[in-house]
Amino acid sequence: MSAAAVRVSGLSGGYAPGTDALRDVEFAAGPGQIVGVLGPNGGGKTTLFRALLGELPVRRGDVALPGRPAYVPQTERARLDFPVSALDVALMGAYARTPWYRRVARADREHAAAALGRVGLAEHAGAAFGTLSGGQRQRVLIARALVQDAEVLLLDEPLSGVDGVSAARIEAVFAELRGAGRTLLVATHDVRQAAEWDRVLCLHRRQIEYGAPAAVLGPETLRETYGGELIVLPGGARAVGVGHHAH
Amino acid sequence: MDLAAPYIQRALLEMLLLAVPAGVLGSWIVLRRLAFFAHAVGSASFPGLVLASAWGIAPQLAALATALGFGAAQEGLTRSRRLAPDAATGLLLVAALAIGIVLASDVVEVGAEVDTLLFGSLIGLKPLDVWLTAAVAAGALVLDAALRRTWLATGFEPGSARALGVKPERADRLLLAGTAVVAVVALDAVGALLVAVVLVVPAATVRLLTARLRTLRLGAVGLAAAEGVAAVWLADALDVGAGPALAVIGGSVFALVAVATALRPQAVPA
Repeated sequence: MSAAAVRVSGLSGGYAPGTDALRDVEFAAGPGQIVGVLGPNGGGKTTLFRALLGELPVRRGDVALPGRPAYVPQTERARLDFPVSALDVALMGAYARTPWYRRVARADREHAAAALGRVGLAEHAGAAFGTLSGGQRQRVLIARALVQDAEVLLLDEPLSGVDGVSAARIEAVFAELRGAGRTLLVATHDVRQAAEWDRVLCLHRRQIEYGAPAAVLGPETLRETYGGELIVLPGGARAVGVGHHAH
Repeated sequence: MDLAAPYIQRALLEMLLLAVPAGVLGSWIVLRRLAFFAHAVGSASFPGLVLASAWGIAPQLAALATALGFGAAQEGLTRSRRLAPDAATGLLLVAALAIGIVLASDVVEVGAEVDTLLFGSLIGLKPLDVWLTAAVAAGALVLDAALRRTWLATGFEPGSARALGVKPERADRLLLAGTAVVAVVALDAVGALLVAVVLVVPAATVRLLTARLRTLRLGAVGLAAAEGVAAVWLADALDVGAGPALAVIGGSVFALVAVATALRPQAVPA
């Protein structure tokens, strides 16, 4: 493996004083790798992303990243009544490189339009964000991350509850990004899907395991990650974390 | 309405100038759900105005000090997370009004009429008031130019704001401070109890009609200006306070637009 793009060493931290929401996280991911981040709700997936974004009080350990990562939140966290079009949202990806006294550069406008094209929404650029379907909204948020042009992308359950067309588009974009040497950390509930990626990181308020899917995704690790919430279906394991809230 | 009369000219100019921050910051106040804060920070300046009137100090200074004290108290009350922000706002609002009423009725000798402090007076506007409003209008435009992308990204989805490279905390504090300052300069025209008719009602009305930020802001400035001019005429014709006149006009226009958009098929701006 070439030099790591993301390196997390002995990380522990949390918002509440004296309690770690997540502890003992230690992994490195290289350019062009997709890492599936597995765990139950409340298991620390979003908390890990907060730590990588520099927003979590870190008590021990540290995080090394090549610049600011792009973050794709769960679509229901975005306000649907906000007066923004799909293009407006994609353009937010260019805010960091636009001085306050300038308009967003023409090149960035073209970049944003192209990013919407890459996620299959070129013809919806002018549509109000709130009028799009859940899958389309998720793709707009991914387009925003594409405009940000970060080396590392953090995606919080981008494939949960999206329609088939959206899921196929999103996976095609993942493949493009992997080919372009970007590092993706993808929080997911779908163990079968994560098994197709390069690495998996299993979290349950601490790191359970990290490594290649074939080596990591055994029944013991999954039981430890999900507790009693795992249903094993014929042809592969599928975690059902929805409805389980580990507080 | 006698357009040659200096007090009418000053009143019209004041309303046209107020329309700028009313539309520009008012749009953010509505989008960022700060309407109650905007109302409260204006009303909370009432005890400051009472003391300023009794002691002969500049009402704007007293109102600004009270508004900033209100903001600090609100932050102190909510930081512990034991009290929700709107509960803290409500608590401080009634406390400020009660203190103002007690001061005005028993404790100090108030030079001005209490109802002028509460509901405003365009007749009493001095040139300095108009200059202050002009300065605040210019300041609101600069603040908006500097921070609107941060306000947009943070309001749309706060969790990603820092990943997008914007600094939400500072920008949000400045939005609250800007709201307080606009409320203070609106006080002499519309009174402590009615600043929301300038800061909230025009933007909330245009919000019913558009799903475009640019249209919302320009429309809110235009509507605030039109309602302001109409309010000067109505206040002059009926010899009532400008605040109540503006509230009646703004409320009626809002009601008309709300009914019209509710009756229009697929009239759901996203």
